[in-house]
Amino acid sequence: MLQGLIKKEDLKKLIASVKKEGTFYGLIRGSEGLSLSELGPDDEVTLDYSNFKMPPKRQFFPFSEVICTYEDESMTDLPLSEEKAVIFGVRPCDALSLLYLDKIFIDEKFTDPYYRSRRDNSLIISLACREPLKTCFCTSVGASPAGKKGADILAFEVKDSLLFEACSEKGTRFMENYPAIFKKPGKADIKARDEEVSAAEKRVQTIDLSGITEKLQGCFDSPLWEEISQRCLGCGVCTYTCPTCHCFGLYDEKVELKGRRIRVQDSCMFPSFTLEASGHNPRTSNEERMRQRIMHKFRYTVENFEDIFCVGCGRCISNCPVNMDIRETLAEVIK
Amino acid sequence: MANPYFPKLVTIEKITIENEARDLKTFRLAFCNRDDKKSFKYECGQFAMLSVPGAGESPIGIASSPLDEQYLEFTVKCYPTGVVTTALHNLEEGARIGVRGPYGNSFPLKELERKNVLIVGGGFAFTTLRSTIRYMLNEKSRARFENITVIYGARSPGELIYKPELKEWEERDEIEMYVTVDRGDEDWKGREGFVPAVLQEIAPSSENAIVLVCGPPIMLKFTMLPLLDLGFSPDRIITSLERRMSCGIGKCGRCNIGTMYVCKDGPVLSYKQIQELSEEIF
Amino acid sequence: MNNIEIKLKDLVKDLFAGEKIDVLIGYENGSLPLRSRPCFVHSAGEVDRLVWNSYCTNNLAVYLPRIFQRQEHKKEETPPPRVGIIAKGCDARSVVGLLKENQVIKENIIVIGMPCSGMIDPAKVEAALDGAGPYSCQGEVDGSLEVTTSSGEKKRLKREEVTAEACLECSHPLAEGADLQIEGEPKEACDERYEKIREFEAKSTEERWQSFVKEISKCIRCYACRQACPNCYCKICFVDQTKPRWIGASDELSNVMIYHIGRIFHQAGRCVECDACVHACPMDIDLRLFTQKLVKDVKELFDYVPGLSVEELPPLWTFKQDDSQSFITEP
Repeated sequence: MLQGLIKKEDLKKLIASVKKEGTFYGLIRGSEGLSLSELGPDDEVTLDYSNFKMPPKRQFFPFSEVICTYEDESMTDLPLSEEKAVIFGVRPCDALSLLYLDKIFIDEKFTDPYYRSRRDNSLIISLACREPLKTCFCTSVGASPAGKKGADILAFEVKDSLLFEACSEKGTRFMENYPAIFKKPGKADIKARDEEVSAAEKRVQTIDLSGITEKLQGCFDSPLWEEISQRCLGCGVCTYTCPTCHCFGLYDEKVELKGRRIRVQDSCMFPSFTLEASGHNPRTSNEERMRQRIMHKFRYTVENFEDIFCVGCGRCISNCPVNMDIRETLAEVIK
Repeated sequence: MANPYFPKLVTIEKITIENEARDLKTFRLAFCNRDDKKSFKYECGQFAMLSVPGAGESPIGIASSPLDEQYLEFTVKCYPTGVVTTALHNLEEGARIGVRGPYGNSFPLKELERKNVLIVGGGFAFTTLRSTIRYMLNEKSRARFENITVIYGARSPGELIYKPELKEWEERDEIEMYVTVDRGDEDWKGREGFVPAVLQEIAPSSENAIVLVCGPPIMLKFTMLPLLDLGFSPDRIITSLERRMSCGIGKCGRCNIGTMYVCKDGPVLSYKQIQELSEEIF
Repeated sequence: MNNIEIKLKDLVKDLFAGEKIDVLIGYENGSLPLRSRPCFVHSAGEVDRLVWNSYCTNNLAVYLPRIFQRQEHKKEETPPPRVGIIAKGCDARSVVGLLKENQVIKENIIVIGMPCSGMIDPAKVEAALDGAGPYSCQGEVDGSLEVTTSSGEKKRLKREEVTAEACLECSHPLAEGADLQIEGEPKEACDERYEKIREFEAKSTEERWQSFVKEISKCIRCYACRQACPNCYCKICFVDQTKPRWIGASDELSNVMIYHIGRIFHQAGRCVECDACVHACPMDIDLRLFTQKLVKDVKELFDYVPGLSVEELPPLWTFKQDDSQSFITEP
C-alpha cells in the first residue's frame, strides 16, 4: 500500500499539477457556506469541516442533466463529459455511497452513460473524519471515519501534513505520478494517524441495527408507519440531501420545434412520484411514502444487493425541518 | 457507450380509432432505420416507451404480435390528465415519434405450449393479450397450443376494441370467443355481464390450463376468486402490472414494489408472485 | 420543567379528560440540541411528552388542513377529529387564515395560546460558535444561552443574538383570539420592523433583482418551504401540475424563480411572517426578505394585516373603491 506525506501548504502544488490534466474539486468556504467546488491555485482549500451539505452524488448524478436534444423530428443524444476530475475532501461515508450508486447506474444490461463516464473519469480522495457530528452513525451501517471503501486515496490530517494512502490501483497510479510532491511518512506520522482514527471512531454514536432487514420484512402493514409519519411534512429534503437516493424522472422541455429531454432527480416522498396518467396513484399517503423510503434503503437493497443503502452521514437528520430522525425510526422498527 | 435513454425514430403509418369515446387509438409504427427494426426483437407481454418529443415518454404495452413482421402496434388510451397520451392522440399519420425498448419480461409462452390457454381481458388492458392471441393463432405457432378460450369484456359495445379482429376470431374454429359488455344497447345481440360473472358461467376447465388475465384493478380483484374456484392455482394465473415509469430499465425507482421493478422484473407476474408482495396490488 | 409547561400539561389533560379533543398537536423534545419538534398526542396518558421551551419553532398550523384532508383517504367513514393545537402568536394567526379560507372546521379545533417569548434559531447559534462543530446546550441562564462546544469550552450567547429573526420582529407574540390561553409573559411586540426591507427597497431595480437571483439560485427544489407553510395546502401545487405544465422540471434558474415567485405571490395578504419556510430551507435561503416585503406592501397598499380576524376580507379577495392603484403601471 502506497503512502505519502504532503504538507497542507503544498496542496496547492498538487492542485496546480492536477490542473494540467483535469479539474480539482475540493471544499471551499464561500459566501454561501461550504461547498464542493472547482479549485484554482489561489483558492484556500478548507480542511476544517465535519461534512458538507450536498452529497457528492451531485458530481456524478446532477440534479438535472440533458440526455438528448431534438429539433423538428430528429433527435441527437448528448456527448458524454470527458472531464478528468480529482475530487478531494469527500468523507469516507460519502465515498462509500458512490459504490452503492454504482450498483444502480452501472449494470450488465443497462448502464447510465452519463453517470458512468463521470465515475470513470474521476479520482476520489476522501478525507478521514476527525470530528463526527451528533447526527453521524456511520459505524452502524458499515462505514467508518477512516473507511476506505469507495475511495481511491484516503487522506488523513496529521499535524501540519496530510497522509495519503492509496486504496485502489487508480489511486496508486495517481500518487506515483507525483513523486516530487509526496514524501515517505515516518513512524510517528503513522502512529499519530492511528490515534486520530481510533479516537474519531469512538466518538461516532452507534445504533443497534441488528436484524433490521428481517424486522422490516415483517412490518409492512404495521401501524407504526402512520405513527412515525404523522410529523413528516412530505418535502424532499431527506431524499435530495441523501448520498444514496437516486430516483429520477425524465422530462421533455420544448420551445417551438426545439427541445430537450432531461433526467431530473425526483423524490419518493412526493405524491407525484408514483402518480399515473390515469390519475391512479398506488402511494397516496405520507405513511406509504415514508415506508417506501425506509424499506428501500434498509430492506429492498439488502435483498437485491446485500447492502443497506445508508452510509450514516446524518444529512436527513440534520436538514429535516421537523427533526425526523431516521435513527429513531429504525429503533421503532426494531422494537 | 450506448445511451439507453435514447429512442429510435419511427413513423406513424396508420391510426385506428378503436372505440366510440374516441379515446383509444391504435398506432401502427414503422422504424425509420432498418437496423433499428432488426434490433427491436420483442415478445408477447413486453412494453416499450413511446416518446413524443416535447411531451415526454409513456410506457405502453405492445399490441402487435412478434410475428407481425411489417409493423409494430400500440393501443393508447388518452387520459385528460396524461401529457404524453394526449400529445400522441393529437398526432396524425405520417408523424414521427420515438420508441425505446422493448422492455420487461413477457408472457411465458413456452410454458403455455401443449396446454389449454384461457385468456381473460377487460377494457383496454386487452392490448398485450391481443398480441398473444395473434401470436398463438398464427399458422406458424397454432399447433403448439391446445384449446384457446378468450373472455373479453368492455363497459359497452362501443368500448370493445379490435372489433374487426374480434369478429374474425369469433368465426374461427381454433379459438373459442366469449365477448361480453357490462351493459348492451339496442343493437347488441351478444352477451351481457361483468367479466368475473361470465367467467363463472362459462366455467372453463382448469385442467392442463394456464390463464392470462389483464384488466382494470377492480376487474382483476374480482376475477381472482372465481379463477381459484375453477381450480387455477396462483402460479397458473398470469397477469400484468402497470406503474408509473420513467426509465424503463430499473433505475429511476418509480415502479419499485418491494425488491422488484415492474419495468424489468415485470410487468408479467403470476398471482402467486403478487400474493408474495407486501404491497396491495388490486 | 417550567411553569408554563406544567400549566399546559394540566390543561391538555383536562381537555382529554373532558373528551373535548381526540388529538393534540404540540411539541416534544427533539433528538438534537436546541430542537423541539411537532408531536401528536392522542390521550391524557401521552401528555407528559409535551414540552414548551425556546425551541418550539415549527408552525403547527401546517398540520391542520392535512388532518382534515386525511379523512378523505380513509376507507371507512369516520367523523373529522377534534383537534387541540398549541399556538404561538404566529401559529394562531395561521389558524385564523385557514379558518378564513375554509381549510379547517372551526367547531373541531381548540387553539391553546402560548405566551411566546421568542424562539432560538439554531443556525444563529451555530454561526455564533463559528463552525466549532458539535455542541451541547445547557439551557438558559440570565437571558443567555449556555452551550458547550465539542472541545469542552463553555460559552454564553446573549438570547437576543440567537433569537430567530421572525421572533425579534414579531408584532403579535400573543395568540390573540385563541380559545384558551396559558398565562405567562409573552415577549413585547416589536414595532420597529422592516429595517432590512427598507434597505432592500432603497436599492436599484438591478440590485434588487441580483439579490433575488443570488438567494434563489441556492434552491434545490426540495419544496420544504412549501410543505412547512400552513398557507400552502393546495392539493396539487401549480409546480406539480402537468396539464398544462407551468414550470420546467430542471434546476435551471428560470424554473426555480417561477416557483418562488409563484409561491411568494400566493402569500400576498396571507403570510403571517412565521418564517416556517425560512427555517425549513436546508439551503439557508433568505425567503424572509421576499415574504416580508410583500407583507409590508399589503399593509401599505391596503392597510391589511393577515391572520387577525376571521371575518375581515383579505385584500386580494375583494375590491374597494379607494384601493391603491399605485402599483398599476401604464403600458
